[in-house]
Amino acid sequence: MLSRTAAELYWMSRYLERAENLARMLDVSYSLSLMPQDGQGTGLDELTMPLLITGNMDDYLARHGELDAERLLHFFAFDGDNPGSIFSCLRAARSNAHVVRGRITADMWENINATWLEMRDIAQQGLQSYGISAFCEWVKQRSHLFRGAAFGTSLRNDAFRFIRLGTYIERADNTLRLLDSRYELLGDAAESIGDGSARGYYQWNALLRALSVFEAFTEIYRGSPDKRQVAELLILREDVPRSLRACLGEINQILASLPGVNGRPAQRMVASLEARLRYTGIEEILDEGLHVWLSDFILLVRRLANAIQSSYLEAA
Amino acid sequence: MKLTISHDTTYRYDDQVRASIQYLRLTPQESERQHVLDWHLDLPCPARAQRDPYGNILHVLNVDEPHDSLLISAHGSVEIDESREAEHDQQSPLPFLRFTRLTQADEALRQFALHHCGARRDRNALIELMFGLGEAMPFTPGITTVDTTAAEAFAKRGGVCQDHSHAFLACARSLQVPARYVSGYLFSEDAGHLASHAWVEAWLDGAWYSFDVTNGLSRPERHLKLAVGLDYLDACPVRGMRRGGGGEQMHARVLVNQPVMTLQAQQQ
Amino acid sequence: MARILYDEMYDASGAVRPHYREFARWLANTPPEQLAQRRREADLLFHRAGITFTVYGDDQGTERLIPFDTIPRSIPASEWRVVERGCIQRVKALNMFLADLYHGQRIIKAGIIPAEQVLANEGYQMAMQGLDLHRNLYAHIAGVDLVRDGDGSYYVLEDNLRTPSGVSYMLEDRKMMMRLFPELFAAQRIAPIDHYPSLLLSTLKSSSPVDDPSVVVLTPGHFNSAYFEHAFLAREMGVELVEGADLFVRDEKVFMRTTAGPQQVDVIYRRLDDAFLDPLAFNPDSMLGVPGLLSAYRAGNVVLANAIGTGVADDKSVYPFVPDMIRFYLDEEPILKNVPTWQCRKADELSHVLAHLPELVVKETQGSGGYGMLVGPAASKAEIETFRDRLKANPAAYIAQPTLSLSTCPTFVEQGIAPRHIDLRPFVLSGKETRLVPGGLTRVALREGSLVVNSSQGGGTKDTWVVED
Repeated sequence: MLSRTAAELYWMSRYLERAENLARMLDVSYSLSLMPQDGQGTGLDELTMPLLITGNMDDYLARHGELDAERLLHFFAFDGDNPGSIFSCLRAARSNAHVVRGRITADMWENINATWLEMRDIAQQGLQSYGISAFCEWVKQRSHLFRGAAFGTSLRNDAFRFIRLGTYIERADNTLRLLDSRYELLGDAAESIGDGSARGYYQWNALLRALSVFEAFTEIYRGSPDKRQVAELLILREDVPRSLRACLGEINQILASLPGVNGRPAQRMVASLEARLRYTGIEEILDEGLHVWLSDFILLVRRLANAIQSSYLEAA
Repeated sequence: MKLTISHDTTYRYDDQVRASIQYLRLTPQESERQHVLDWHLDLPCPARAQRDPYGNILHVLNVDEPHDSLLISAHGSVEIDESREAEHDQQSPLPFLRFTRLTQADEALRQFALHHCGARRDRNALIELMFGLGEAMPFTPGITTVDTTAAEAFAKRGGVCQDHSHAFLACARSLQVPARYVSGYLFSEDAGHLASHAWVEAWLDGAWYSFDVTNGLSRPERHLKLAVGLDYLDACPVRGMRRGGGGEQMHARVLVNQPVMTLQAQQQ
Repeated sequence: MARILYDEMYDASGAVRPHYREFARWLANTPPEQLAQRRREADLLFHRAGITFTVYGDDQGTERLIPFDTIPRSIPASEWRVVERGCIQRVKALNMFLADLYHGQRIIKAGIIPAEQVLANEGYQMAMQGLDLHRNLYAHIAGVDLVRDGDGSYYVLEDNLRTPSGVSYMLEDRKMMMRLFPELFAAQRIAPIDHYPSLLLSTLKSSSPVDDPSVVVLTPGHFNSAYFEHAFLAREMGVELVEGADLFVRDEKVFMRTTAGPQQVDVIYRRLDDAFLDPLAFNPDSMLGVPGLLSAYRAGNVVLANAIGTGVADDKSVYPFVPDMIRFYLDEEPILKNVPTWQCRKADELSHVLAHLPELVVKETQGSGGYGMLVGPAASKAEIETFRDRLKANPAAYIAQPTLSLSTCPTFVEQGIAPRHIDLRPFVLSGKETRLVPGGLTRVALREGSLVVNSSQGGGTKDTWVVED
């Protein structure tokens, strides 16, 4: 397959996954911002959270100067001039799909094209009138629908593999960042959770819900979330589809099945990362310090993405 | 006269270049006027030679390894037959009647050409045109770039040898005289002029005659020809593309016989 | 001035011509609601399949359809065989002309065509001088635009030897007709055309000396108006659709970047103009081409279809010489007529043109797409005067021809069925042999009285039938 075609497919699904993740982030931040804030403030801290996670805070401040709830939400969700907004991600995904229209099934193309057209309509209506939660829900549903169309209609060929690859790279990065940022926001409180502190409870719960693993958590751990369990669930559990371990497992399999020898650096890298997770316990991670460990891994995933980029997507 | 050339061109890039490809026209040819005694290129990796569309010797240099600089060197010596004024050619000169973006004649250039040549299409007329352009466009570095067209440079009343040559080409072609761009080296005792040089040749009485607007010379005694073409883009010594690298600084050092001269930009 | 119009379906007395009888019977027996319903279906299917014409710079998820008319243009097979032989003869001569022009230039030496006319022409490429091509073929794919005058005889309006487009519409129109009206195809023998992509692929493969060469289609990208066609042909032939950035040159060979590493390319079916092919040799600002491509081409390591420098042979200023080329190279009389042409660069012909502007069609020699032309009888006084000034300022850039009436064909319009002017573009493939599929692309000017059929000017298309008679 042409490297450019593979790149379009890969980025199409990365942008789509990113839009979904942004919606998940926005959803949790928005609902937490409505909670009582332990006596202090307006919930703005919560609303700036997604921008901090995605590294778009400076752009926002450069454009708008001050923090304002409505502007924050608009900037994050609808602003076509902010390349990190949900709007921009859906536009980018559609534009990637358009180029490789002949390589994806009609169901996939129609889904992604319709998503973009609806997105433009929703942006016309405005976020407040559409409803923030309803919007986040809509983004997730569109992403589910696309994934369903891909799984249900696509030939299991290299095109499909690069689409899946984009999803898992983006998702691995996102899970790491979300966990890291929640942990940071809780600060010292994170350590003492488990004693039923209301703040910690809401924070971890919100994170679990954002990643759609609340039910999984209660089924596996049967209790209130604490740092150790949440971290284990999101980093090491093979059976949790948004966990780091699950993502790297998929990437490993996909890379192993791609033809050619030029991908060896990326193949080696992912195999060793997966092995590292397979033979690591949560205690070792916590001993090293969760934040340190997560920061380190965010970098490793980025390196893996770079290796994929240079091995396959711009080959030679 | 024997000319000895040493020409180093160094490119430095802000970032790593992943791969680059260059068309090099840095090798003179045997002709009635010039006899190549020895010539070689020093390149970062071997390059193949072929003939380009204008019959010039073209080396295609591929650098596939990441690099942050590139050194291209040409060395050699050539015997110039000063008594020869013109060169003959088997190929039809008619394709050199065609304007290009850089040599398109506007009304001002057409009028200028007519003013100097009237109905005459001989060597004397073109010599007058050459002096006229030299006066109208005094040598002025810095006011034009490699992208400046003949008409733009003429309107600015100045430029360097590339602009002079383009303006002359525009005028000659507007008079229906085939004319072509020449890139090469000039030996010059006074260090005020650069050694990498450009001039033109016009087709008169069945042969190519040289006109160096910048120096007001119609006898190519000290000119060593590297390549010809419709304009600068066809004949320039180095034309390349690269993947990655960011910004670039180019540094060229040319020695023709004794004088040492340095130039900072591709433009001459 | 009263014009005699030739109608493809009805003769002068209003009777249906024999090769349209079957269709006319069917049309009379099919309820109008059903026809309207099928036409809506066609629109929907074309939209869904994305058979569209991209509007430049479009980001809105909307694309324009080229209007498709469901009444076919039909040609009796006996008549087609003459057209076919005429096209083959013409394209053979044009290829021989190009080979000669870039080598010995016999035709210039014989005084048949003035040297300046071709050598100083913008389409003449120095890069091709003395370069030997496999099978001496330059225009592997040619589109010959034909029209019919009032007496029904065919004229060549122009030759398209660079990157002729429209063949995808020819194929899609046929698919659509077979899908909507299968009964029509059962009732009579209509020559099939759906093997065009496989003929094209074998033509492209035979253009290379390599055994089983690797072929790609090179497109300027999805912003190009003909992108659909590029993607369509690549898919139908089962070859990669590449953009310039997908290719690179190393050691004078062309490779494509794939996920499994570099892969050598032997034949490039390029849908990119000469000026954009290699930014190191031609237009330096072009990001569409492949740096170094010309060096690989001149080293003989890759085939370009069509070759560089074919534009000199389809230039309107060279068109008047084509009948002489046929006589010179093939020693045959031209089967298809040229439209009489005045060359405005000649003073006496210019004065004739200036005196008769309201009756003539004036065209730019270096233009395409129907923008730089004057259709005298359809133009206002003011338009004619404006054009007169342009013509006087640069006469060499124009030629003029009498206004041909162009045949008409019944076409669905808002008020029902009415005659509209049409042309015909057969696609001629030159490889081991020169051949074409029966028919071609019929373009129709949808505006009443209009003679401009270009899709950029609101033209539509029809399926083209060659019917056994």
